[in-house]
Amino acid sequence: MDEFNDNEIGKLLRLKRYEQPPPGYFENFLHEFHRRQRDELLREPLWRILLERTQGFIFRLDVRSLTSYPAAIAAVLVCAAVISLKIYQEPGAANVVALQSGPALSTAVNAEGEWTLASPAATRIFRAQPLRSLNESANTHRAAIPPRYVLDSVPVSYESTFRF
Amino acid sequence: MEQPKTDEDQQLVARTQSGDAAAFDQLVIKYTPRLYGLVYNMTSNHEDTNDLLQDIFSKAYKAIRGFRGKSSFYTWIHSIAVNMTLNFLKKRGRRFHLSLDDVDTSIQNDKEFLELTATSSPVREADLSELQRRLNEAMMKLSDEHRAVVTMFHIQGMPHSEISKILRVSEGTVRSRLFYANRQLQNYLDEFRKNPVG
Amino acid sequence: MSRLSDFNRAPEFRSRFRFVSLCRLALSLFAAFGLVRLVRAQEESATAISHVKEVFERAAKAVVKIHGVDEHCEISGTGFFIDPTGTLYTAYTVGGEAGNFTIDFNGKRYPARQVLADIRSGMAILKTDVATPALPIGKSEELEVATPVVAIGYPLDLPETPNFGMIAGFDRKYLGRYFSTTHLRVNLPTQRGEAGAPLLNMKGEVVGILVSSLENNSACYAVPIEAAEKIRSDFVRFGEARHGWVGINVSEAAKQVEGSRAEMTQIMDGTPAAGSGIKPGDILLQVGRKKVHEPEDVLDASFFITAGDTVPITVMRGNEKLTFNVQAELHPASQRPPLIASPTNQAIPLKLDSEVQRTP
Repeated sequence: MDEFNDNEIGKLLRLKRYEQPPPGYFENFLHEFHRRQRDELLREPLWRILLERTQGFIFRLDVRSLTSYPAAIAAVLVCAAVISLKIYQEPGAANVVALQSGPALSTAVNAEGEWTLASPAATRIFRAQPLRSLNESANTHRAAIPPRYVLDSVPVSYESTFRF
Repeated sequence: MEQPKTDEDQQLVARTQSGDAAAFDQLVIKYTPRLYGLVYNMTSNHEDTNDLLQDIFSKAYKAIRGFRGKSSFYTWIHSIAVNMTLNFLKKRGRRFHLSLDDVDTSIQNDKEFLELTATSSPVREADLSELQRRLNEAMMKLSDEHRAVVTMFHIQGMPHSEISKILRVSEGTVRSRLFYANRQLQNYLDEFRKNPVG
Repeated sequence: MSRLSDFNRAPEFRSRFRFVSLCRLALSLFAAFGLVRLVRAQEESATAISHVKEVFERAAKAVVKIHGVDEHCEISGTGFFIDPTGTLYTAYTVGGEAGNFTIDFNGKRYPARQVLADIRSGMAILKTDVATPALPIGKSEELEVATPVVAIGYPLDLPETPNFGMIAGFDRKYLGRYFSTTHLRVNLPTQRGEAGAPLLNMKGEVVGILVSSLENNSACYAVPIEAAEKIRSDFVRFGEARHGWVGINVSEAAKQVEGSRAEMTQIMDGTPAAGSGIKPGDILLQVGRKKVHEPEDVLDASFFITAGDTVPITVMRGNEKLTFNVQAELHPASQRPPLIASPTNQAIPLKLDSEVQRTP
């Protein structure tokens, strides 16, 4: 058997399943995902977030409860909040525009890879949730769950544009 | 690799759609290893894979309210993953470098690995890491679409029917792409076997 | 027949003899000198080695393992005391997004609470109520490339561990992404669990806080201690970090003017800069005490501005050099009202308009 046949190709390729990321990778992934979600959230203009909330709220309600007093008051308050925040939001909107139209500093061409997150310095958002047990995945190497030993591969602090 | 139970996914999707973010976390935990394999074997680059996975789940989270359950969540998220990866590869073009993950030592207990190293001369003669490199290089020589089907069928173990749903092509197309890709890989690896050095 | 003594007495021979003796003497002196130098060099290198050990032994008592619980699981990192009343510095990734902190100190476990967490500087301050040793604060400005440094951390589940390396560079950015202030890049090996470790100079003073690793943990980034001290000083003065903001966007000018390529391209409405007299197109020369030569220099200048401070800004307009005093206000990013954290603490499903942008 001098040549690779279909069968052998298949077997060799299947062995690529053993190429796995470094230990701790999958455990850390969800954490990174949440941090990214929070970053993205901060980039949204406030009025848009409130609009989404309102839509979600309405989506989950049934029509009858919409005609109730508390719902009506809530609707008025939301409108007032949106309007006043929109006025307050103007410098922020300018910032968002500046971020998007600024020079391509955060997108420097680099064969090593680029970062696309462009979040300004942020206050932290703490989502206090009870501890959840993580599903065992066939590809992780855990017996009992050890703590996550912290050492990120990139610093959290960064600026997306040159401004002061 | 078998397909996951769809009722569990359905429940998690329903919970996510009604605002339970923790349910989406469960989906992330469940699908990350699978999708990692898919994206990594298409890109052969660990860092790009990590970025893409973040984008894929981010997009899925934003779009999940519009998910009507016409296909399974499995198919849906694999679709997103394959399409985003293909778009990325198109933009990346030929300018890439391999950033390969290490081979887990448990490979030494794999039945097929033991068979291959015992019987097949091309494998026995080659050092495993050299073979890994050659295989990855051969994979990168395939077109992105061909690499996608090879990854899904051979590495991820997905059936033709599933691949055709994800790529939105007929099963016949899937089979013919696999056939062609196999031939290509054989040719590249034969070259290696004939010229093992360099 | 000539005798040896006859030869000795011959004048040329005597002078040659003197010359040879002098040479021998010179050679011996040289050899002795060399030997002394060799011994001293060995002593010096032995001293350098023993210095690392000394630095470690003196400082290790003030370095602690930090345990916390974040939204998913337990976390483990490193921190160090900077005053005798239990004030701790650590990395933001350890102390910023978790709770239920405890520290291992002196063989015992103590509770700790978060005092301040600042994502922009990448650090957090915790506090425990116990009398503690403290690390003296040094100056990262005194460091140069190849200056030797020591780090002490708690890798994985192992005890306090020294690391020895050197300053590799002072970086403004990494992989195309700019830091909020210049970071120290250090060539010393790091392991998971060591985020928050102190970076010490050979005098045993803290010059940085380890925050992240690069390239398979063979090198790392540290936040300079001055950045951490700025945050702490804000806290002492105001009870919180007060990042200052003037409202000017800077980008690369077409030509260099007075040594600077930093052009102020946008003065934002409603900001302190708006009413100051600074105009778009002005070339930035200096912000506070920091001279500006290129747009990147603005990052450090910006980081150290405290809201409420009056910042002198020197610009070049045409042929005129002008200075404006602008009072900084609170950075807009720190102004985000806490509405974002909803009462039910749910992340919000957002509508996707377009494909997530990936920069090519």
